[in-house]
Amino acid sequence: MRRGLICLVFASASLAQDFAQRGFLDTRLVLYPQKSADDKGRVVAESWLRYEASRLLLPGLRLHGALDARTDSHRQVEREPHIDFTDRTLRRPALSVRRLSLVYNRGKVTAEAGKQLIRWGKADVLNPTDRFAPRDFLSVVDNDFLPVTAARVTYESGANTIEAVWQPLFTPSRTPLLNQRWTVLPPEAAGIALRDGGSRYPEGSQFGVRLGHIGKRYEGSVSFFDGFNHLPLLDGRFDPSSRSVQVQRFYPTLRMFGADTAVPLHWFTVKGEAAWFTTRTAQADEYLLYVIQLERQSGEWSFVGGYAGQAVTDQRSRIDFSPDRGLTRAFLGRASYTIDASRSVAVDTAIRQNGGGVWLRFEYSQLLGQHWRATTGFTLIRGEPDDFLGQYRRNSHAILALRYSL
Amino acid sequence: MNRVLLVHLCLSSLALAQDARQIMSEVQSRSQSKSQHYEGTLTVTDSRKRIAEKRWEYNRLGSHGDSKAMLRFTAPSEVKGVALLILNHPDRASDQWMWIPANARERRIALQDRSTRFFGTDFSFEDLEERDVDQYDYKLLGEDPVDGAACWKIESRPKQGKSSQYTSSLLWVRKDNYAIARVESYSKEKIVRRLQYSDIQKVQGVWSARKLEMFDVGRNSRTTMILDKLQYNVPLKEEDFTLQALRRQS
Repeated sequence: MRRGLICLVFASASLAQDFAQRGFLDTRLVLYPQKSADDKGRVVAESWLRYEASRLLLPGLRLHGALDARTDSHRQVEREPHIDFTDRTLRRPALSVRRLSLVYNRGKVTAEAGKQLIRWGKADVLNPTDRFAPRDFLSVVDNDFLPVTAARVTYESGANTIEAVWQPLFTPSRTPLLNQRWTVLPPEAAGIALRDGGSRYPEGSQFGVRLGHIGKRYEGSVSFFDGFNHLPLLDGRFDPSSRSVQVQRFYPTLRMFGADTAVPLHWFTVKGEAAWFTTRTAQADEYLLYVIQLERQSGEWSFVGGYAGQAVTDQRSRIDFSPDRGLTRAFLGRASYTIDASRSVAVDTAIRQNGGGVWLRFEYSQLLGQHWRATTGFTLIRGEPDDFLGQYRRNSHAILALRYSL
Repeated sequence: MNRVLLVHLCLSSLALAQDARQIMSEVQSRSQSKSQHYEGTLTVTDSRKRIAEKRWEYNRLGSHGDSKAMLRFTAPSEVKGVALLILNHPDRASDQWMWIPANARERRIALQDRSTRFFGTDFSFEDLEERDVDQYDYKLLGEDPVDGAACWKIESRPKQGKSSQYTSSLLWVRKDNYAIARVESYSKEKIVRRLQYSDIQKVQGVWSARKLEMFDVGRNSRTTMILDKLQYNVPLKEEDFTLQALRRQS
């Protein structure tokens, strides 16, 4: 009895030690120098609090949780204070569960069930194989990953890994709001109002498997995914009486066969990623996306440069919202320089090969003490109205952000 | 006469070379342990005397040169959760992967990128490796005291085909306990980093420096690391030194 009590006391003491937490409070201002047709707002203020914690419940069993709280001045965040778990709202939820999952490990097997982030692929700017990673695209070029509700089992044996994911609940990418500047209508549609007709979410689960190998001179994976595209096709119905179009989102089936690799060479690392997408949805395209990039760090510099391409194998004309394909047929690059322990600068860019669109982001960041970080920068977007990047040419913007890390 | 002198000189230099190799083998042998754990507090002082403090937790499993290590930042809050997995190999450079929680993906640190500083400290990725003595050639240069302790001064050069950012290093090994007291690392005869070991204590039978000071000569910046809760031969599991472990503990 006494021994049991001592064991319990020791167990609880060790549990108390195995608790980890972190988080941040981020406040930023986004300034748009130019007006857009349907959105007069040129200054957007956002605040975002994230708290993450994890606790070892039993040997090999860990509980992870993370909560996001947001507010903003531009109605991109919902005002109703309910806790959102599904990430299906049009606006960002005021309170949302970022992570709530149990991770179990025994020997070579790791299993995680619940809401979690799942990332596949090796490239940096564009990841065709990253199928369990929907994003928040409310501000298209400043996006963030959304978690999914899934079960994931990984078996790791030496240099080989097999990973299986089952996602019973579909999580879509969040698309730009119809009445805001990141939804751009063609000039010929001027004067036509857009009405949101909601979303038709697919029923059924999604499944994926990925086999990875790490060799002395390379690492690579092959992957398969069967489910739905988290980026929607758009169904528009014109109502002549009100001169408005009702837009409804729906999500085509998607089957992916993908591969990714990283090969460190003497001067740089070559990374490649490719995926071929097929579908049973009559209105959706079938296509191949691929990325090839070179990467190098030298002293305080880091460089990534590459090309993203697309080959459409079956074109079916529908309207879609597809930033992943929109960033293809483009040269992609990133350079960053660490000035010292507290300051850094970074430049990201995408330039369409036909010159139709350019996106360039410059960012300067400085640590202030142990907890605060200030970031300032600007994003320049230029191009033709019919180009995916060029259509946002009135959305160049500057940011000023202050983050307090807990 | 001259021939005798030449033979004598050759034999002497051979004996010195052999001595240096034996000293380094003894250094490795005496620091041998099945595993190691410590909590490091790092104080980074840059050239403008600005100070940043970081903390990490370090675990190593396996013997010298053939070990696995996991290093995880615990402070400041901005880098909390950033981790590095190092798989050391007896015959070649280590494999390294870094995990940044915000990216939710591990990233392999390529060999040519190992000279980069590790997360704002003055340690490069390569400095965090543990290499076997057999990966270097040694030459005893003489004796030179450090902090009043008698030391052997030894030059080490990576063997042909062994990749390193450093073309050579000078090591000061204490004669009384075979603990390393100082390391100077050179690139093409120009000093790049100096690592000073101090507060050397015997912990569970292993002479261990509790304070390490890495000085980046080019940047005029230094990182001082204090090792707390240093333990050897702690029970650690193989499964906590894998890519999955990098991810699941973040």
